[in-house]
Amino acid sequence: MIKNPDILQCATDVYNYYGTKPAGEIQPRETKKNPTKRVEQLRQRYFETKSSASVEFPYWYTRRWEELEGEIPIIRRAEALKAGFSHLTPAILPGELLAMRKANYLRGSYPMPWLSEAFFLAKEDELYKEAQKSGKNSADEVTTMGQGGGNVTKSVGNVISIAGKFGFRKEEMPVLLKTAKKWFNKSVDDIGHKYEQLVPGYQTKEEIMRAVICMFDSGYTLPQGREVMNYYYPLQFGIEGIKSICVEKQNQSAGYPGMDRLYFYKAVHTMLEGLQKWILNYAGEARFMALLEAGKIQKEEYIDIAERLEWLSENKPRSFYDALQLIWIFHVAVLNEDAISGLSPGRLGQVLYPFWKHDMEKGIINRESSLELLESMRMKFTELDCFASMGVVGGVLSGNTFNNLCIGGLDKEGNSAANELEMLILESAITCDTPQPTLSLLFDEKLPEDFLMKGIECTKIGTGYPAWVNNRVAIEFLLNNFKKEGMALEEARAWAIGGCLETSPGSWMPLEFNGQTYFIPGGSAPATSVGVHFISLPKVLEAVLFDGLDKRTGRRVYPTHGSKLDSYEEIWAVFKKYFSLTVEVLTLTNNIQHDIWGKVSPSIINSMLKPDCLEVGKDISHKGCRYNRTFNVEICGGVNLVNSLASIKKNIYDENHFTLQELKAAIDANFGYHSALETGSYSLIEQVKSDRFMDWIKIHKRCLDAPKYGNDDSFVDEIFKEWQLWFSKMCENYLSLYNEPLYSCQISVSTHAPMGAVTLASPDGRLCGTTFADGSVSAYPGTDKNGPYALFNSATCYDHSLSQNSQLNMKIHPSVVHGREGSRKFLEMIKAYLRKGAFHAQFNVVDSRMLKDAQKNPENYRGLMVRVAGFTQYWVELGKQIQDEVIARTEYEQIG
Amino acid sequence: MNHYDCKFYLATDVFKGICKRDKNLILADDVACEHFEKAQKCKYCLNFKLTADELGTCMNKYDAYPEMNAVSCHDFQN
Repeated sequence: MIKNPDILQCATDVYNYYGTKPAGEIQPRETKKNPTKRVEQLRQRYFETKSSASVEFPYWYTRRWEELEGEIPIIRRAEALKAGFSHLTPAILPGELLAMRKANYLRGSYPMPWLSEAFFLAKEDELYKEAQKSGKNSADEVTTMGQGGGNVTKSVGNVISIAGKFGFRKEEMPVLLKTAKKWFNKSVDDIGHKYEQLVPGYQTKEEIMRAVICMFDSGYTLPQGREVMNYYYPLQFGIEGIKSICVEKQNQSAGYPGMDRLYFYKAVHTMLEGLQKWILNYAGEARFMALLEAGKIQKEEYIDIAERLEWLSENKPRSFYDALQLIWIFHVAVLNEDAISGLSPGRLGQVLYPFWKHDMEKGIINRESSLELLESMRMKFTELDCFASMGVVGGVLSGNTFNNLCIGGLDKEGNSAANELEMLILESAITCDTPQPTLSLLFDEKLPEDFLMKGIECTKIGTGYPAWVNNRVAIEFLLNNFKKEGMALEEARAWAIGGCLETSPGSWMPLEFNGQTYFIPGGSAPATSVGVHFISLPKVLEAVLFDGLDKRTGRRVYPTHGSKLDSYEEIWAVFKKYFSLTVEVLTLTNNIQHDIWGKVSPSIINSMLKPDCLEVGKDISHKGCRYNRTFNVEICGGVNLVNSLASIKKNIYDENHFTLQELKAAIDANFGYHSALETGSYSLIEQVKSDRFMDWIKIHKRCLDAPKYGNDDSFVDEIFKEWQLWFSKMCENYLSLYNEPLYSCQISVSTHAPMGAVTLASPDGRLCGTTFADGSVSAYPGTDKNGPYALFNSATCYDHSLSQNSQLNMKIHPSVVHGREGSRKFLEMIKAYLRKGAFHAQFNVVDSRMLKDAQKNPENYRGLMVRVAGFTQYWVELGKQIQDEVIARTEYEQIG
Repeated sequence: MNHYDCKFYLATDVFKGICKRDKNLILADDVACEHFEKAQKCKYCLNFKLTADELGTCMNKYDAYPEMNAVSCHDFQN
């Protein structure tokens, strides 16, 4: 094998640069601050902790569920949830200021077999075998795993690794498998599967999934999430207050038409009783810890936690500290209801501001104590893990949970909504730089300059956040899509990002506190990013070129198109046909899955929180929310598609450099290279040639030299624009479960890695198995050669408000944005991009050589974070496919 | 007896935790110290019957498992 290709432009260096190559030592990131000693200790403990799953919640949930055979589903579900919450083992660590967590472990989570038990049944033999293995190995073995951070990548001693991430105690495995079996043919997955097969063309869906043209079904994997929380009801009424509302509404609905309302209110009431027991169990644990504690300060803190929890188990918050604790309780409660990623706290600084302002004015708290609480909150969010299937957790989420906290934007009247508490939230993200919650700054021209500069300060230290998001574009999108449901401009301003980058509708709710009324923003729609989840565009194009076949497996995915593909227009027409067929069949099957979810496992906690479910007595799946047009079509690999189409158009049809048959043969031969799966290298750098490299070199060179998106080149940008306009329009041809048209969504999360892994080489010169370009308007690594402003022109060649989002990642060397002048230059560049109508940009401010070093020596970089797509993650917890792609991204050495 | 069975064991993950008494880091499967007290687990409950390896019944009607924490179970008896 021949290494170090020297002819390919994209592969001449280990890194891709725009501007002068950095010389000398690896450049560190700018200013590093630290959290308080207490929080730093909590962070170190987090670093030492492994992802751990337990069976406690599913055991109690299932036990109660079985007892209530024949009961009305929503009541049965509420009782099951109540049993689960009531029996969770409480655990409070010394130094914690905010109590309560998903499960008893610090990074705890648990399987939810009521959604899907298939993984455990499929793996039964293997897991049983692991459970039977005896022998106790030293825990040192675990700590030497090194790469993987908190991931339990292999079974050891009394711990079984599940999905290469979660540790599970061996002695709990038999009961987990027994519990999982009880859900056979009863889980959302199984029932949904039974009925989705009734969709005409279902077999095509199966083949689409097998070929990984689509990444996963959302109905039973992550049925909720990618949405914004609404904390209004607990903050305004407290738990007993909400229970009283339920009783009152029950009395009004019992025996009257529309009886489902009665069952809904009863279910909410029951579920809240479970939450109260859960909170009081924690209070009891705090008192027990206080009894054992000798230190005066720590003892007082335990007692304080106990008193606070006892108060909040019934009442509304009295202070900022109370409010933050209550918000955390409900956030975790929703996360325990379903497998969820992307449950965003939304505009938390604006929700909490009335409490914070009051406490500051009264001298109850000060800046330092507020900051420490916010740092503590960051640790709690960072501890969150989501237990879902391997494909979802690893392939889509990269282990992340996407709790997006938004700052800035406008208030109800259209003035800047930024406040002093949000400045502190930014400061806490600098001092306690952890992946969660990630931040999004809702940019508007009305935001004050010092606020924006604070955002730059945070971005510069390499956190990857805040993401910079265009408030005006989002509002346009929302008004376009939710006007029919009554959204006006004032309410559109209440929006926030749900999940990594999903524009989500919100509403203003009247919070009364200390004799005043404050209109606080919160989410008022169900999960977005459910529906058609991640269609791999390069893989669809591959099927077009190979007459509907998945060349990797040899299986037929689509009906033969029978076209000779004699023109570019024919290729484009067949692509649209195959893509449309994909969206159609996936929409129908997903609608069934989500319908089943709503019928057998409806949301109760999240429904209670979302306006106007509690008012109208309907849960989320019965359109209880104020806004319901939230199903979308997500895509991946758009830039590789567009670059490939440009290459085909130019090389085959415009300039006749080679024929389509020759291109297909070159693709089949991976342009004379070994595949990424053989080499273990997933970007175009460091690829390995085969002996037949010279056979394909000319074609490959032409493919690589074809116009590439991101250079302000109209040849390719016109193709990009045509794709965007067609895509956003075609989504409206399909109806969601809620009888609303779909809209387009363009984020990659981590899917560009596994989807790239199963895709042959593509006509843009990308090699087989390598990762696609990230996001939706990021250039393919190494192909953006004309500087940032050329990239911006390409990215904004279409109207971003046509889609729920767009996503741009850039990597910038720290020296470029160094100092005050660098900050100013950085901010001006971002503003310039957003003013062109862009929706979003985010940045890795890092020296690529540091990432390469971290790949070689992960033990030296436990705390290193990078921005992947819509999320920041610890480097050591990312798979190599994504690591290689981030290293390969073009590093900007100048931005002027 | 090991830490995993002790009332004062506070698990942080499946491998380890801290002792609630002295706050030291301890391994779940290491032998407990002289301050050991039995944790409230199903295997110490009068309602629990072992029926197979790592499996049993609770009150003769529910599936159960011996190592489950029963600190929040109102039916726990010993």
